[in-house]
Amino acid sequence: MSADWMLNGVSVSADGADKRLLLNDVNLHFKAGQITLLLGRNGAGKSTLLETMAGIRTLQEGTIGLGDDSLWVSTGHRKKLNRDVMLRFGISMQHAESQWFASTVREELLYSLKPYRLKGEEANRRMEYALAEAGLATELLERDPWTLSGGQQRRLTLACLLACEPEWLLLDEPTAGLDADGVRRLCAVLEAHRAAGRGAVVATHDLDALLPLADAVAVVSGGTVREAAAAAAVAHAAAAPQALCALAELRAEAALPPLAPARSGGGAPWPEPREVAAVLAAELMRPGRVLGGAGAVVSGKVADAKLLTGAIVDDIANKQPYTGPSLAATELLRPDRFDPRALILVYLVLAASIFAQRTLLELSLAAIVTMMLLVPFRTLIWPWVRVIRAYAVLIAILCFIGGVTFTPLSFDWTKALPIVLRLGKLLLIMLLGMPMLKLMTPFRLQRSIEQSFGWLSRINVPIHSFALLVTLIFRFIPLLTGEWERFAKLAHARGKAVTALRTVPFSMLQSVMIPYVRSILRLAEQMADALEARGFGYTKRKPTYGFRLRFGRSDAILFIAAAFSSVLLFLIASVL
Amino acid sequence: MEQTCQIEIIDATVTPPVMFAAQKPQPILKGVSVRIYEGEWITLLGRNGSGKSTLAKVVAGFRTAGVTGKMIKHIESAAKGKPIPIVMQQPEAAMIGATPWEDVVLMLEQNEMEASRIPLGAEEALRKVGMGDRMFQPIETLSGGQKQLVAIAGCLAVQSPLLVLDEVTAMLDPEAASYVLEQVRVLQQNGVTVIWITQKLEELRQGDRIVAMNDGAIAFDGQADEWFDRSSYGDQGSVCEQLGFEAPYSARVSWELERQGVKLRPFPFTAEMLAEAVKRYER
Repeated sequence: MSADWMLNGVSVSADGADKRLLLNDVNLHFKAGQITLLLGRNGAGKSTLLETMAGIRTLQEGTIGLGDDSLWVSTGHRKKLNRDVMLRFGISMQHAESQWFASTVREELLYSLKPYRLKGEEANRRMEYALAEAGLATELLERDPWTLSGGQQRRLTLACLLACEPEWLLLDEPTAGLDADGVRRLCAVLEAHRAAGRGAVVATHDLDALLPLADAVAVVSGGTVREAAAAAAVAHAAAAPQALCALAELRAEAALPPLAPARSGGGAPWPEPREVAAVLAAELMRPGRVLGGAGAVVSGKVADAKLLTGAIVDDIANKQPYTGPSLAATELLRPDRFDPRALILVYLVLAASIFAQRTLLELSLAAIVTMMLLVPFRTLIWPWVRVIRAYAVLIAILCFIGGVTFTPLSFDWTKALPIVLRLGKLLLIMLLGMPMLKLMTPFRLQRSIEQSFGWLSRINVPIHSFALLVTLIFRFIPLLTGEWERFAKLAHARGKAVTALRTVPFSMLQSVMIPYVRSILRLAEQMADALEARGFGYTKRKPTYGFRLRFGRSDAILFIAAAFSSVLLFLIASVL
Repeated sequence: MEQTCQIEIIDATVTPPVMFAAQKPQPILKGVSVRIYEGEWITLLGRNGSGKSTLAKVVAGFRTAGVTGKMIKHIESAAKGKPIPIVMQQPEAAMIGATPWEDVVLMLEQNEMEASRIPLGAEEALRKVGMGDRMFQPIETLSGGQKQLVAIAGCLAVQSPLLVLDEVTAMLDPEAASYVLEQVRVLQQNGVTVIWITQKLEELRQGDRIVAMNDGAIAFDGQADEWFDRSSYGDQGSVCEQLGFEAPYSARVSWELERQGVKLRPFPFTAEMLAEAVKRYER
C-alpha cells in the first residue's frame, strides 16, 4: 500500500531579485489510490506545486512528507533531499519530450533506472513492461530516441517514468500535444496505476479527457490551493468541459428536461451523449411541447460549483491591467527615457575623469561624486549588490597580498596603495556601468548604433545586420539561461539527485551537455523560423527607421550633470 | 455570390531535399490545389505531420525548399513582394522587442513599411487586437495569450488582408485560447481573411470552411454539414471520424439524436448551435 502526500504550510518564493511568493501556505493531502487533478490558469502555480513536491524547488516554509518520511532531511546545518522519498515518485515536467540524454532508447530507460540500482534481469523486465505499457515496440530499444516520431517520444517519456515503478506519478500537462489515441492510452495507464493502489497528481487544462478519471480536484489560484470535489471543476468557466457547456446552454435556452444524476464514483461527471440525446429526443417527439427557456436543474453539483466560482473570480480580480511598480517612481528609470548615445557619452566622460584621478583623496572625491550621481538609479544597482561585495572583498585581499612583507612581518602601505587606487577606480566605473543596460532596450541600442554608424554601410560595412544582431543576442541570452535551468531541473528529476538545486550535479554534466547544446540549436532554429515567418531576413533595399532617437531634455540634464561632475573633479584635482 | 479569389494554389508538391543520398525524399505535400476567397474563415485541420503547416507556408508565399506547382496571388500586403507573415505556436520565439510597441515597430521596419507610417500603424494594430493599454508594458510581464495577440497585431500592421495562424492556441490555457480565438473572430468579421490552423475541433464555428489535411493531401474541403455527415458513408462514420478527429460533445449528442430519428439542420456541433436547433425544432 502506498503512502499519502502531506503538505503542511508550504510556501515557495521565486528565485532571483524579487522574492515574490509563488505558493503561499499550502496545506494539502493527496491520498494514495486516487488521481488528483490540479487545475488553474497558466502561471497560477500548478507546475511550481509539482516541482516543489518533487524536491526541485526549495521550501521557504512548511514541510512535505510522503507517509511518515519527510522529503527534506537536515544533515547538520544544511537540508538535503531524502533519497528514499525521491525514489518513490516519478515526475514528468512540461514539454519534457525531446530531451534525451542517451544515444539509444535502452540507455535512456537505463538512465532513469540508474538511481534504483537494479540487477540486469530486473532492469530488463522493467524496461519491457514499461515499453508495453506506454505502447512502444521492443524493437525500438536500439533506436536513437531523437529519430522517434513526436508521438513516440511522448510515449518514451511515459515509459521512462513507468520503468521506475513509482508509487506516485506527478504529471504536468500530460495530454498537451497528444493525439486522441495517445490520450486514451495515457488514461488507461493512469487507471491501471490507480487500480494498483498507487496515486497520481496531474496538473492539466484538459478536463474533457482527465476529469472522468479524477477522484479529487485541487484548484490552484494566485499561489493558494483549494481542494474541491471533482464535479466542481465545472465552475472554471472557459476551461469547463464541452459537455457541461453544452448542457448549460441547453438548459438555459431550450429547456433540457432533468437528467438522471451522473453516476457517483468513477466515470465522467457528465452524462454520455447517448443519454442526453435520449432525453432530448423524447422531449422533442412529445406532442404539444412547450418551447422556450426554463430554470436550470439544480443539484448538489451546482452549489459546489458556485463555491468555487468565488475562487476563480478572485483570480480574475488579481489580473488587473499592469500598472508597474508605481509609475511616478519609475518614470526616471524607464528604458525609453534616455537616448542610449547620451548614456554612453556620459559614461565615457565620467569614466575618463575617474581614471584621471591620482591620489587617494582624489579617488575618495570621485567616489562621493559617483555615489551622488547614482542615487536616482539606486534601485537598478540592488541586483548587483553581491557582485559589488565580492569585488570589494577581492580588493581587500589583493591589497593585503600586495602590501604584506614577511621578513620582518609588516605591512607596506605604499605598495598596497597603487592596488587600491587602480582597482578602486575600476569599481567606480563598474558601478556607473551597472544601471546602463536597464536604461536602454536592445532595440534602442540597435537604433543608436544604426544612427551613429549608418554611414559605414556606404563603404560596405554591414552595420545594419550587426545592429540587428545586437538586439537578437540580447533576446537570446535569457533563453540560454532559461534552457539551462530547465535541464538542471530535468537532470535532477530523472537522476534523483539530492544535491543543491538549480545546479547540475557534476556526474551528470556530461550527459546533460550534449542534449543541452542540441536543444539550444533547436531553439535557435525555431527562433530563425519564427523570425522568418514574421518577414525578417528578406533582402533589404534600404534600411527603414520606424522611429529615430532624438536627444531630449532628460538627455541634456543627464549630460550637464555628468559634465559638471567631471569638470568639478578636474578642478579639485588641479587645486590639490 | 461571386467571391474574389485572393490566392490560388495549383498542384503544389513539396519534397524537401534529403541530407543523405541513401534516404528517399518524402513529399510533405502531394499535389495540393486550393483557392482562398476574400473574407472567409478557413479552419485547417490535420494531425501532426499531415502537412498543414507546410501548406500554410506555401499559401503565405514563403521560400520552401523543393516546392513545385503554381501559385497565383491576387493580394498584396504593405510589404510588397514579401510573404504574408505567419503567427506560430510559440509566442516567445519571435518576440524580440522589449515592449509590444517595439516589437511591432521592429517587425514593420524589417518588412520595409514606409517609415513615416510605422509608429501610427503599429499603435493602431495593437489597439485592434485589444492591446492598446499595454503597448509599453515590458513584454516579459505579458501572458502567453497577450503575446500571441501582439504577434497577430504585427501581421495586421503590415496590412495583410490574410491572417495565417498556425496553432496559435496550442500552448495557451483554455481561457487565453478562447480569448485569442474571440479576438481573431472579430477581425474576420471586419473583413480579414483568416486561415486558422488547429487540431481542436471545438474551435470550429458555424459557417467555417473546413479544410482537412491527411498525409500531405487535402482529404476534405467543405462545410461542417458534410464534415459531420454520417449518413452518406454507411458504417465508416463521418469524414471527421474517418480522419481520426475527436468530435465535439455537442456533435456527438447530435449524432445520437439522429439515430433516434431527430435530424437537426444545420448540423449542430457547438453548444450554442445545439441549443438553438433544439429550440427551433418543429417550430
